[in-house]
Amino acid sequence: MLRYDSSGKPFIIIRDQDQKERLTGSEARKANILAAMTVANLMKTSIGPLGMDKILVDQDGEVTATNDGATILKNMQVENPIAKLLVELSQGQDDEIGDGTTSVVVLAGALLEESLSLLEKGIHPSKISEGYEKACDIAVKHLLKICDKIEFDKENYGSLVKAAKTSLGSKIVNQYTEKIAKISVEAVLAVADLERKDVRFDLIKLEGKTGGTLGDTELIDGIIIPKNFSHPQMPKQIKNAKIAILTCPFEPPKPKTGHKLDIDSVKKYKELLEIEQNYFKEMTDLVKKSGATLVLCQWGFDDEANHLLLQKKLPAVRWVSGTDIELIAIATGARIVPRFSELTEKKLGKAGMVTEKSLGTTDENMIVIEKCSNTKTVTILVKGGNKMVVEEGKRSIHDALCVTRNLIKDNRIVYGGGAAEISCSVAVNKASKEITGIEQYSIRAFSQALLSVPIALASNSGLNSLEAVSEIQLKQIEKESPFLGIDCISMGTNNMKEQYVFDTLRGKIQEFLLATQMAKMILKIDDIIRPTGQY
Amino acid sequence: MSHFTPTIVLLKEGTDSSQGKGHLLSNIDACVEIVNTLKTTLGPRGMDKLITNDRGKSTVTNDGATVMRLLDVVHPAVQTLVDIAMSQDSEVGDGTTSVVVFAGEILEQSRSFIKENVHPQTLIKAFRKACFKCRERIKEIAVKSNVEDEKQWNSMLKKCASTAMNSKLIAGHKDAFSDMVVQAVRSLDPEFPEVDLIGIKKVGGGAMEESFLVNGVAFKKTFSYAGFEQQPKKFTTPKIALLNIELELKNEKENAEIRIKDPKEYQKIVEAEWELIYEKLEKIVESGANIVLSRLPIGDLATQYFADRDIFCAGRVEESDMKRLSVITGKQIQSTTNGFTSEMVGECELMEEKQIGSERYNIFTGFEKQGSSTIILRGGAEQFLAESERSLHDAIMVVHRAMLNSNVVAGGGAIEMELSRYLHEYAKTIYGKEQMLISAFAKALEIIPRQISQNAGFDSVDIMNKLRKGHFEKPKENIWMGVDIENEGVCNTMKSFVWEPSLMKLNMISAATDAACLVLSVDETVKSPSLQDNNKISMEGRK
Repeated sequence: MLRYDSSGKPFIIIRDQDQKERLTGSEARKANILAAMTVANLMKTSIGPLGMDKILVDQDGEVTATNDGATILKNMQVENPIAKLLVELSQGQDDEIGDGTTSVVVLAGALLEESLSLLEKGIHPSKISEGYEKACDIAVKHLLKICDKIEFDKENYGSLVKAAKTSLGSKIVNQYTEKIAKISVEAVLAVADLERKDVRFDLIKLEGKTGGTLGDTELIDGIIIPKNFSHPQMPKQIKNAKIAILTCPFEPPKPKTGHKLDIDSVKKYKELLEIEQNYFKEMTDLVKKSGATLVLCQWGFDDEANHLLLQKKLPAVRWVSGTDIELIAIATGARIVPRFSELTEKKLGKAGMVTEKSLGTTDENMIVIEKCSNTKTVTILVKGGNKMVVEEGKRSIHDALCVTRNLIKDNRIVYGGGAAEISCSVAVNKASKEITGIEQYSIRAFSQALLSVPIALASNSGLNSLEAVSEIQLKQIEKESPFLGIDCISMGTNNMKEQYVFDTLRGKIQEFLLATQMAKMILKIDDIIRPTGQY
Repeated sequence: MSHFTPTIVLLKEGTDSSQGKGHLLSNIDACVEIVNTLKTTLGPRGMDKLITNDRGKSTVTNDGATVMRLLDVVHPAVQTLVDIAMSQDSEVGDGTTSVVVFAGEILEQSRSFIKENVHPQTLIKAFRKACFKCRERIKEIAVKSNVEDEKQWNSMLKKCASTAMNSKLIAGHKDAFSDMVVQAVRSLDPEFPEVDLIGIKKVGGGAMEESFLVNGVAFKKTFSYAGFEQQPKKFTTPKIALLNIELELKNEKENAEIRIKDPKEYQKIVEAEWELIYEKLEKIVESGANIVLSRLPIGDLATQYFADRDIFCAGRVEESDMKRLSVITGKQIQSTTNGFTSEMVGECELMEEKQIGSERYNIFTGFEKQGSSTIILRGGAEQFLAESERSLHDAIMVVHRAMLNSNVVAGGGAIEMELSRYLHEYAKTIYGKEQMLISAFAKALEIIPRQISQNAGFDSVDIMNKLRKGHFEKPKENIWMGVDIENEGVCNTMKSFVWEPSLMKLNMISAATDAACLVLSVDETVKSPSLQDNNKISMEGRK
């Protein structure tokens, strides 16, 4: 980027000018759009029930196999700033909705792809943006018009299970959708506050375990901690446990201030020994006195204390993590106690059953705390053949949990299988004809871009994608039914209402809005200044 | 032999010095170069820049001051342009691009005079005069909004805010945002409005439409210890204790060491430490507070202690949020619990923890006094949010300025065209070189409408002709004639509500003139070799 003044002398305006390069105008726009399209094309193949997974290997050789858009993009470690924007876009959708992370990127890519030809026609990018904005508005309004409500309550939650199934359809768990969808919905309903329409996700714990198949995944009405009882001779099962939760170690207390104890005689030494032993005794006595039958400790305790606890028939678990402690405290109604002297009966938590279980053939045991006094904490124990499967299973269940939560928050839905997109595309296209001016072109482009998701869906399902989509489009117009979509799994019907394939309205609206926002942002850039030799 | 003239080494080896007319022209070229980079961001159809730095961090922006800062300018003459953009940003907040573009155009116009050997000081004198005349004219014609009428006043502020947002990414939602911005600024204490008291929080995910204004204070859930979840998360009319105290069991003095002679004393020391913290906690509880916020960490012990007593606590709250709470509750932040009483706790109507996107936010609303508010900004990507925040900041500054000084002028190049017309007429009444120079200044003013129409892809020559004709033929009626972005033409921008505070224009014209005059008054630059270059030279010397 060397510049010369009128007399031919070079000058340096910005730091390291010779190491920076600059793209402007249509060149910059094209570079950006291409980058975005590359990312979108990469994601296309993982849309839909027959979408494929991707294997990602990170710097440490850790392997992840996934089909979740946000996870793929996050682990790809893209460098290009525009591609990074798309990664964040998908992350945004994940944070807010938890589903549709792939479609949002594909839609944004399609919008930009369409804008390419508009730019070539000489339409000003901000005009295109305005058109997109208007079209998005039309599409969102149309979604509100075609949306449906699903009804459910605490007992009849079949419809929620069906929605969760759609979300799980494309994932590795699809063999066991029925079971896993049911588990996810039950888990959410267990912690949901239906009146306030609020679901607290931190009360659902996802625990993974290799061994068995995904079908062995189970919902536990309580909490699992991956720990053993501190002494092998302690009982493996405690009924009606009263739990003391301690955040202090079973050790003589230590002042935090630096200190030094001077022992200058044998007498003092013996005294010290006695005091130390007394501490242990006193501690176990205090626990026993409070009536606790199980001790969970955030810290460790040495063998002496362990022995004493066994003698006093006090089963204990050491090194329980802070988050687990908190969850158990909430579930059992216990108070976390920082000092032995503060332990009283009122501060103990209650659980109907605490069991140490071994799973599979591994040595690692788990402690299962069930029938807690406050049942609003559940754990989903995900099992699978190997770690990769378990991890992907967890991600899929997370998605299903998100869908269920969104439905509890807002029970309006639109039909999946591309039905909503096709219907919106038709509506936007129709509306474009009533608008005069250049915007008409960009609105029409938007309606084309909307079809990108159903097209990808159809082609992933092995259909002749363009034919399939245009056929549905025709049918939708003829029958005026917005619930016709791509029959991905050859059920023999295009009616998504019958197939029970649906997405949440909130998620769909969010998807449209975010993709439009992103396309607008990228279109608005006409100047790139960056260090040379990158990308 | 004696006629040998010795070379005098005046400057250090490697020092770069250039001087004279050529140097001045070179400076002008450099300034024009940077202006060319910046000028595409001007106006409602202005484009954004994507700037990536050496470390790979990229920023998408349309804000003149931000672009100038990120470009990392090292050229000494161009540096003055960076400075005026910064000063406009801190003074008015908006118009940072215009000021740079205008300064560049003044320089461009003066280039031919410099070539014709007009003395730079003559130019400077004339430009200063023109600037003075412009300022007078702006003050003369600025429209004063009626402050008495609350409704009109509000709508004026909103218009100023939405004009400032026109060129930004959030332009699509400018109505909602200008509403928010005006409300936020109006929530400040009218006597001493401090813009810092408006918090802008960015939460990724969610659509722009979901952004909202909290009439109070909101901040993200801070790092918490076990036990936090057992605390209640909703309070009506809570008492809030604002502290700057570390509530943790820790060594009180860093370098202290306790020597214990008797093992029996040991327990006493342990208890003494516990007592220290328990005493603090008890005092807080006694004051009746049920929300405890601290700038410094609140440890697990304190968290559980509070959970036990149904008190909510948050440690490591950001200083700016603490300040806002302190202002709005009218209570000081306490740095000791000694003498902590119920008088020192603040009050509000409602405190609630809410889930926003994937974050949890603590929201405090319903304060007796006004004085602070928080805008929760939603959007898809980080860069998007960062740019939106900058745009909102600009709008807030503009509204803030407009509140202090209620005069407005019409934007879209209208005011610049009017000033240009005025100066042309004025120039005809004076004798001497200044006549031409003032006309040149008048011509430079036209850059703003020209650039706006160019960025929108219009035929700028055509539009400029229409504007000039309109302003010269009917100076009274067409005083606010500017570029019509919607219909590619001209219109009365005052009527289409493109309003800008007159203060912004006043500052823009003087800052740009100052910068241009500064560049013009330089005839020599002496640049010391940088340390790095110096090393290189000495290394080469050794070879």
